[in-house]
Amino acid sequence: MKTLKALWRIPSARLALLVLAAIAFLAVFGGALAPHDPLQQYTDEVLQGPSSAHWLGTDYVGRDVLSRLMAGTRLSVLGALEAVLIGAVLGVPSGLASAWLGPRLEWITLRISDTLVILPFTVFAIAVAGTLGNGLQQAMIAIGVLMSPIFYRVTRAAAIGLRRTQYVEAAELMGATEWWTLRKHIWSKVLPNVAVTSAQAMGAALLVVASLAFLGLGITPPAPTWGGMLSADLGYLAQQPWAPIFPALLMMATVGSLNLLADSMRDVTGATTAPRRRPRRTNARPEKQSREEQRDVVPA
Amino acid sequence: MSLAAPAPAAVARAPHVPRAASRSLPWLRSLLGVLVVTVTVLFLASVVTFSLGALSDSNPAAAALGETATQQDIDRLNHEFGLDRPLVVQYLSWVGHALTGDLGRSWFTTIPVTDSIKTALPVDLSIAALALVLALVIGGGAGIGAALSNGGIFDRAVTLVCSILGTLPPFVIGMALIVVFAVKLQVLPAGGYVPLAVDPGEWLRFSILPALALSLDVAASIARQLRTSLVGELRENYAVGAEMRGFGRRRVLFGHVLRNAAGPTLAVIGLAIPLIIGGAVMTEKLFGLPGIAQLALQSAEKGDVPVVLGTLLVTAVIVVAASLVINLLQTALNPVARRGAGTPGGVR
Repeated sequence: MKTLKALWRIPSARLALLVLAAIAFLAVFGGALAPHDPLQQYTDEVLQGPSSAHWLGTDYVGRDVLSRLMAGTRLSVLGALEAVLIGAVLGVPSGLASAWLGPRLEWITLRISDTLVILPFTVFAIAVAGTLGNGLQQAMIAIGVLMSPIFYRVTRAAAIGLRRTQYVEAAELMGATEWWTLRKHIWSKVLPNVAVTSAQAMGAALLVVASLAFLGLGITPPAPTWGGMLSADLGYLAQQPWAPIFPALLMMATVGSLNLLADSMRDVTGATTAPRRRPRRTNARPEKQSREEQRDVVPA
Repeated sequence: MSLAAPAPAAVARAPHVPRAASRSLPWLRSLLGVLVVTVTVLFLASVVTFSLGALSDSNPAAAALGETATQQDIDRLNHEFGLDRPLVVQYLSWVGHALTGDLGRSWFTTIPVTDSIKTALPVDLSIAALALVLALVIGGGAGIGAALSNGGIFDRAVTLVCSILGTLPPFVIGMALIVVFAVKLQVLPAGGYVPLAVDPGEWLRFSILPALALSLDVAASIARQLRTSLVGELRENYAVGAEMRGFGRRRVLFGHVLRNAAGPTLAVIGLAIPLIIGGAVMTEKLFGLPGIAQLALQSAEKGDVPVVLGTLLVTAVIVVAASLVINLLQTALNPVARRGAGTPGGVR
């Protein structure tokens, strides 16, 4: 709750939260609120531009683009959410555990995570579809498994650092069980890192789900999704070069908000950085200032 | 796809290498460590790939023989494919054959998988290589420029563009490029392919758009990382000192700082390699290139397991090999790493 309040005080985080709330609303009620049936084909109004009947125009078989966007939010978001959850469920416990495993087991878990990192999402997803069948569940599990190393690394980095702190060592010396230390001292400090990573991973998962839809994996037509709409627009770029803009904008807003939220959460909670950190927009100035300060000090 | 991805495959600490060796030849220790890690990762990747095939319930015999096949025929063909043997035996023979370059035959066309991959792979590799070069040029330029104008307009513009690129799926960037260059300006083809060996000029014309689409995402990561490390390095004492001695900004940057900032940037490139290869799949479909992804996708639709597994394995091997090269480059660039990882007193 405190974190949420602190987040609300940052303007960019406020914007991100509002956008995400709107997306969540669309995910729940989008299908019911859509002005047209997303699957209804108005065959005499194919590839129309925006009009009063169809605010965002119609697609190549005359389906209402706005309705498809609204109804498609649910599958797109749920798919990404499922992948992130699977990644977290696999990655977080193993990351925590690796801080306590002996060096050999730890080495093996690290190599497993290395292996999952080198497998490209798309190629792996194609292989999964080819062997285990092409379905939403298979695709999301595949993405989730490939995402788990991110959670594993972040959790592990945080847990290992904490395990060497004096208060944890003191607690262990006093006879605290590993489970107790984990719950009492470690978990609350690892959680912010996991939250930041989840937000980032969610953004990445949305993009991967869209990419898979583009390849025809995971979500099968005619069910509407953002990625599916984008890939359908590809065939009609000559007639409607502006058509991909609407799903792309929606996706940009969602992923951008998730990234903003992750950055703000990191600032608020002081989560230690993920292994690869993106520079924050806000620190461009302070960095310059501190550099000038340093310069002032040195030549004097 | 800007994932906060974990550290690259092979930067792990070297495992148990005899002490004497580590003291006399520190680079040997790190090299051995990298090799052990690489081999383990390759082994695990092959296990993952094989288990996908083992978990698959599509039966090649039934698939190849059609619906009229009797149980006897199916059993006979299963025996022929070796599918009635224990899994461990199947795995060992699969890996053994794979090591000699034999990935089995397609269940449907009976064309050797290696041959299909051999014809498709150069398409991806040449485009991925071009994309990497473009990413280095674009990302490197943007990163250096941003660091030089730290806090200025160019810096902010780069940060903004990078953030926007990170929120779009890679194929949308490709679509935008098609709209601009192929549909509106009509200067470049929207699809098709000419092999590099046939006509390099035509190859470039056909592959520049796919490569550009592929590179922008990675260029954004490179620019971001390079900017961050450059800004950090420029604040270090040695850079300030060099500047105080009267060296020009450019000389400090290119002579001293860039070399040190290159390490983390190389790590980012190493991480981007799966993205480039995975992205190549997307661009192939977008631009209609006859690459490995088309092969994998078509085989996946039919349930042609050997081809699918072969492509996954080959992709994994390529990514591992590329990561290995990046890793060795990193070691060569960074004196701290050259002396062996984790030297006390190492700066980071």
